[in-house]
Amino acid sequence: MRGMIDFFRIICHNKRSLIGLIILVIFILMATAGPFIFKLNMTVDYNNRYLSPSLEHWLGTDFAGRDTFIQLVHGSKEVLLVGLLAAFFTLFVGALLGTLSGLVGGRLDAGIMLITNLFLTIPSFPILIIMAAIFSIRDPISFALVLSAWSWPGLTRAVRSQIISLKERDFIVICKVMGMSKPHIIFKELMPSITSFLSISFIMTMRGAITGSVGIMMLGLAPYSPTNWGQMLNLAVSQTGGIFNPLGFIYLFSPILCLAFFQLGSIFFANGIDEALNPRLRG
Amino acid sequence: MTPVIVLKRIGMAFVTVCLATVMTFVLLRLTPGNAIDAWARDYATQFGITLEEAYRRIAAMINYNPNEPLHEQFVRYISGLLHGNLGVSMVYQQITVNSIIANAMPWTIFVATISLFISFVIGMLLGVRMAWKRNSVLEPSVSLFTVITSAIPDFIFAILLLVVFAYGLNWFPVNGAYDPFVTPGFNLDFIVSVLYYATMPILTFVITNIGGWALMMKGNAVSVLGEDYIIAAKARGISESVIMNRYVMKNAMLPMITMLAITFGSMLGGATLIENIFQYPGIGYFLGEATRTRDYTVMQGIMLFLSVTMIVANLIADLVYSKLDPRIKVEG
Amino acid sequence: MNENNLIEIRDLSIEFKLRSGTIRAVDHVSLDIPRGQVTALVGESGSGKSTLASAILNIVSAPGTIKNGSIFINGQDMLRYNANRLRQHRWADVSMVFQAAQNALNPVMRIGDQMIETVLAHQKMSKEEINKKASQLLDYVRLEPDRILKAYPHELSGGMKQRVMIAFSLLLDPQLVILDEPTTALDVITQDYIFDILLKVHKEMNITMLLLSHDISVVARVADRIGVMYAGKIVEVGETFEMFENAKHPYTAGLIQAAPSILDDVNDNRSIKGSSPNLLNLPPGCAFHPRCEFATDLCKQDEPRAISVDSGRISACHLNEKGEMLA
Repeated sequence: MRGMIDFFRIICHNKRSLIGLIILVIFILMATAGPFIFKLNMTVDYNNRYLSPSLEHWLGTDFAGRDTFIQLVHGSKEVLLVGLLAAFFTLFVGALLGTLSGLVGGRLDAGIMLITNLFLTIPSFPILIIMAAIFSIRDPISFALVLSAWSWPGLTRAVRSQIISLKERDFIVICKVMGMSKPHIIFKELMPSITSFLSISFIMTMRGAITGSVGIMMLGLAPYSPTNWGQMLNLAVSQTGGIFNPLGFIYLFSPILCLAFFQLGSIFFANGIDEALNPRLRG
Repeated sequence: MTPVIVLKRIGMAFVTVCLATVMTFVLLRLTPGNAIDAWARDYATQFGITLEEAYRRIAAMINYNPNEPLHEQFVRYISGLLHGNLGVSMVYQQITVNSIIANAMPWTIFVATISLFISFVIGMLLGVRMAWKRNSVLEPSVSLFTVITSAIPDFIFAILLLVVFAYGLNWFPVNGAYDPFVTPGFNLDFIVSVLYYATMPILTFVITNIGGWALMMKGNAVSVLGEDYIIAAKARGISESVIMNRYVMKNAMLPMITMLAITFGSMLGGATLIENIFQYPGIGYFLGEATRTRDYTVMQGIMLFLSVTMIVANLIADLVYSKLDPRIKVEG
Repeated sequence: MNENNLIEIRDLSIEFKLRSGTIRAVDHVSLDIPRGQVTALVGESGSGKSTLASAILNIVSAPGTIKNGSIFINGQDMLRYNANRLRQHRWADVSMVFQAAQNALNPVMRIGDQMIETVLAHQKMSKEEINKKASQLLDYVRLEPDRILKAYPHELSGGMKQRVMIAFSLLLDPQLVILDEPTTALDVITQDYIFDILLKVHKEMNITMLLLSHDISVVARVADRIGVMYAGKIVEVGETFEMFENAKHPYTAGLIQAAPSILDDVNDNRSIKGSSPNLLNLPPGCAFHPRCEFATDLCKQDEPRAISVDSGRISACHLNEKGEMLA
């Protein structure tokens, strides 16, 4: 508990990370509470197309007469959900493989590294859209799986280098000499040292996954939800809505702004985490 | 760098290419088989031949017969590759995948190379300048710029540029690689047109990449400036500009060479969306089209092509780097 | 300005502003460097000798700043030189062999190219001429010119690099060569070798040298005059032989005594008691008094001034002022 209080104190102290935290909290609220407060109504209402912002429709309406703001709110839930899932999958696989590779070494390490390097060499986005085309995406879970398929190698490599450099550090060697069991060393000694690193990786992976998800949706490859920001962008661009119709600008730009703010918030917050969790930077 | 080590590196690259080939093979075997089956049935009815004959002909066209046992499929695939045959497009059967790639590749490489060059050079100069004059207003503005451009995805910038400059101000064209009314060839009109149409994609890449280069160069330059030989050079009466150029820039630039290959890779990847947004006929654009129309052979061919390109690019960067830094004793 | 002096340092002070306070690395130092002689500057790390020497080339590294004083070379105050004249002065008038030359050369340029670059920064000479001169100098320091000129810095051993730096320092026929701890980080045999070369250079080329070291016994071999620094101040200056015979300052005496000799009993404890001064928090009065066995109450209150106690001898100790000589 003490740790948590310290953690938040340091985050709040740093202006940048405080801003990041606030932004993220806003989005989290929007994603969790929002859909309950603002009910989504997707029926097409041709007469009310492209309405300007008003008290009734906070951001106006889109090309089919539906409230833009409410779509955004529901979209945030989708976006965050996919991002979270993808980050979890990536973290799980990446951290596991990286730790194994770093700890065990030898041929297992060489093998894992060979595959990892292969994945890292090939540009990720083209592969992602190919996979999206092959495994048609119908729900957040399959989406997250596809997205994480290409981000775990980066994490694996990074975790492995961290583990390798930690392995030789005195405090680990002492543990081995004292005869502590392997699981103990892994979970009680090594993991806490890389907590800061893992937390930051989690946020950055989430960020990357969201970017990737928006990209995939912009190509029309994951049309399972109409309110997802990426899907909104896709519709804005393809439905002759946003790009050259000034009335459609709000519909085009609002997901862009949401995306931009979310990314910025993540980066700022991640900066703060480094400072707060890294025991060497503290005190 | 000894020839033995060069050969080892090439060997590694070759192994990676083989792995990429296998991966492509596996990936495409996961496609819904009904695509081929449906095609075979259509083909059979269209040409009045038996189903097996249809499958055989299709197999000849795309090096893939789902009815064959897996190892035979693999052999067919590899022999096709070794003949340089990537098959034909499943959607437009008169067009070979090779021709699609051959037509699209120059555009993508053209844009990527120019973008890389511009952002690298300008970023480098900016970085050196920032390291030299530590207290100017340059540093915080570049930092802020970089934070924003790295947070916002590159395709967003593409959309913004498109909306503002192409549709809004009409300064630039909204699609294509060159003016359709100009005859291609080595004439000035064509070259100017090509550059004009490439401006927006290039601008997108440069905006999103330049900040990163500048900051990286600045970081390297600052640490080089702290080295003893810089003070020693100053003590020898060597002028500041020579120190900046021959000492700082050369030494700070070395670690960035490997980043060049990686950035090139990310450009190839990012090209996918950006080319789609600008309707620019490069590899990314055709990949987008292929995924939309579920044209699996084209997807497969492009994926293989991209993988091999990247592996080669990394290999070149590796070799070049060790040539440039005389200190590297390359371990195998 | 005395005609016999090549360099006259007058009342030089150099400060380092740190977050924890300000350090006076060089505190109102005045020193003469006579023409054609080898002057040694001796002091422990932190005594200010390297900082002082870097001022002669005006390359004091940040956050150090020269607060006041002048450095006269041939009658002109080089601290007042404009940028261009300063660039000329560096290496053509005064050159320096840095401490730990391990990293003094650009790692991505060949040595021959760096020599050419240095010469061309000062005068017009053809590449062949420069190479010829460089080869001569490399020969002089007992290195193989052909191999060295084509080599990269990391291809040479420590001793070889040091000799290259000595050759480098002579490239433009300077009037003064400063050598900062030229043999630290080298083994004793190479040390001997280097000093041989230095003696040869001095005798045959008659170049004025300023030799910096923490080891008074090592410089005694080559130095004509020795200056001793402590906590940023000059505490004694004099001719080598006379100083060893009859040191006027307790610190000098301590240094000379502490130097081990083959003839001594290894159990004789001869080191100077106490620890190095904390430059952020110097004691009142004489900076050396906490470690001095002759310290009096006056020493704890008043800072002694450097005065001339004999012809050519300077000492900063209250004991000298009273006329009491140390035995």
